[in-house]
Amino acid sequence: MTTGKGSPFLEILALALNEDYRFPILEVFAFLYVLGTFAFASFSSATSTNVTSEYVAYTVTSSLLGALVFIFMILVFKNVAYGLGSDIEKGIIQTYFSYPLKRRSILSAKLLSALGVSLALFLGVQISSLYILAPDIVAPYFGTVLLTYAASLSYPLLIAGLILLVALILKRGGLALVLGIVFYFALGIIQNLVMSISLATNSALGLQIMSLFSPNLALNLYYQFSGYPPGSGPWIPSFTDALIYIGASYAIVLSAFLLGYFYFSRRMNL
Amino acid sequence: MRMAMALIFAEDLSKSYGRVRAVDGLSLTLNEGSVTGLIGPNGAGKTTTIKMVLGLLRPDKGCVEVFGQDPWDNPRIRPLVGVVYEEAFFPSHQGTLDYLEKVCRIFGMPESRAAEVLRLVDLQDASDRSIRALSAGMLQRFAIAHALVHHPQLVVADEMTTNLDPQARSSLLEIILQLRNDERVAFLLSSHILPELSRVCDSVAIINQGKVWASGKLVELYEKFAAGTVRVSTDKPEELAAEIARLPYVKKVESDIRGVSVRVEQESEEKFYEDALRLAKKVGARIQGIETGAASLEELYRVAVGGNRGSEVS
Repeated sequence: MTTGKGSPFLEILALALNEDYRFPILEVFAFLYVLGTFAFASFSSATSTNVTSEYVAYTVTSSLLGALVFIFMILVFKNVAYGLGSDIEKGIIQTYFSYPLKRRSILSAKLLSALGVSLALFLGVQISSLYILAPDIVAPYFGTVLLTYAASLSYPLLIAGLILLVALILKRGGLALVLGIVFYFALGIIQNLVMSISLATNSALGLQIMSLFSPNLALNLYYQFSGYPPGSGPWIPSFTDALIYIGASYAIVLSAFLLGYFYFSRRMNL
Repeated sequence: MRMAMALIFAEDLSKSYGRVRAVDGLSLTLNEGSVTGLIGPNGAGKTTTIKMVLGLLRPDKGCVEVFGQDPWDNPRIRPLVGVVYEEAFFPSHQGTLDYLEKVCRIFGMPESRAAEVLRLVDLQDASDRSIRALSAGMLQRFAIAHALVHHPQLVVADEMTTNLDPQARSSLLEIILQLRNDERVAFLLSSHILPELSRVCDSVAIINQGKVWASGKLVELYEKFAAGTVRVSTDKPEELAAEIARLPYVKKVESDIRGVSVRVEQESEEKFYEDALRLAKKVGARIQGIETGAASLEELYRVAVGGNRGSEVS
């Protein structure tokens, strides 16, 4: 006789993984990541003579991210909206609530599956590919590479946090996904408008506000204009500024997820 | 007064959805080994009450305890409670046996228990099917197996027999009685199908408009509410009902295809037998039987709710 020794948390995580990454979802996304990584990698900056090595590491990493961040977002948004939102909508979460786990553990298992695995797969493929494609650029500037990923991924993670909140409050997975996509494009449009206005008025405020949500903007401005004299543009952030904006953006992302945890554990009636 | 061994203790529970007050000052106690039926019309507040008992909804007012603890987000009481929801939902791509084995592991039970409960609900032939391939009735039986897999001391079920065919219903009622008698498992069952509840329940709580209108042991409720209720089985129910309605001490008459249900003043019950026989002879009806007291839980329910009074027996 086999006695069940499973941890309830791990069993729920296994169930979530099973539902989120049913064959061939994981395989298709892994393939797209690998294909996209090799297809989009651009080394043009590496041949340029007038740039710093950090800037090269930043641009090479950014070139790999490009369209693949969008693919990553599709997977994450689908997992959060459908993996969690639909479980609430359909009532599967009620079934989970009959198991000996705290609500926060159930949400952690669902998010670990929805976000953690997607992130691990994405970063695993990307960083391995970078090491294969450009070991001389990546190895000495690994900190810059990680910082680029951190700056680029906070915006999609913020949208994922908003999708989580909408899914929990409205209890509708499909609607949460639609609203998440609307948020994503709306913020993108707003960011472009703010940049145009900032350039036209030579004002830094708009760029600084947008960098709170999308800190890649601050990092990009830092690497692009770090050698330029002050006053060359509306805002030339220092490296410390870029780090502060990345930290602040993750504080906002964290707040969205903590709000989700609080609502799920303390307030959510089913 | 609060019972020391109460598995469920709810006092003055209230819950509103916007302006609609679903549960309004409801109190309920369920003791060890008891099978209690929660009966009431649609929208009476049964499901809301069950959800508050299971910690899925927070009451706006009042308190609820399950095994002496607050059920909201409380994993300690989960191994003691089995749950069957009105609509059963499980991760649909899982296999039935596989999923129950996972549930066994979650509760620290032997995995062999999964096959055991599938046999109990006669689903052993579907053990290799995925959950989404189950019919509505099979899914309901699967939900019952899921509720029993960890040997709970209390089973809370909302419309458990919905979607079940008569044979499956009958065998489920046998399972309930067996678990109650052999393992002292307590049940809180909400159902619209009152004859079924009357087969297994020793107590009922009749709720309407979010309030308990009457509750207590079934025998005591019959005594309280069914006194003066007489059922006359006859081949001409409509003709006989028309005559009976003219009797001055008759409060209410209802006829159906098999007979007439009459509510009379309690002191006139003896006189009614004579009058019924006389009136049957008058209209040429054949009396097949006269039964005193509420003949069914349904009649008890009608009397209790129709009587418009809130009452607690015991």
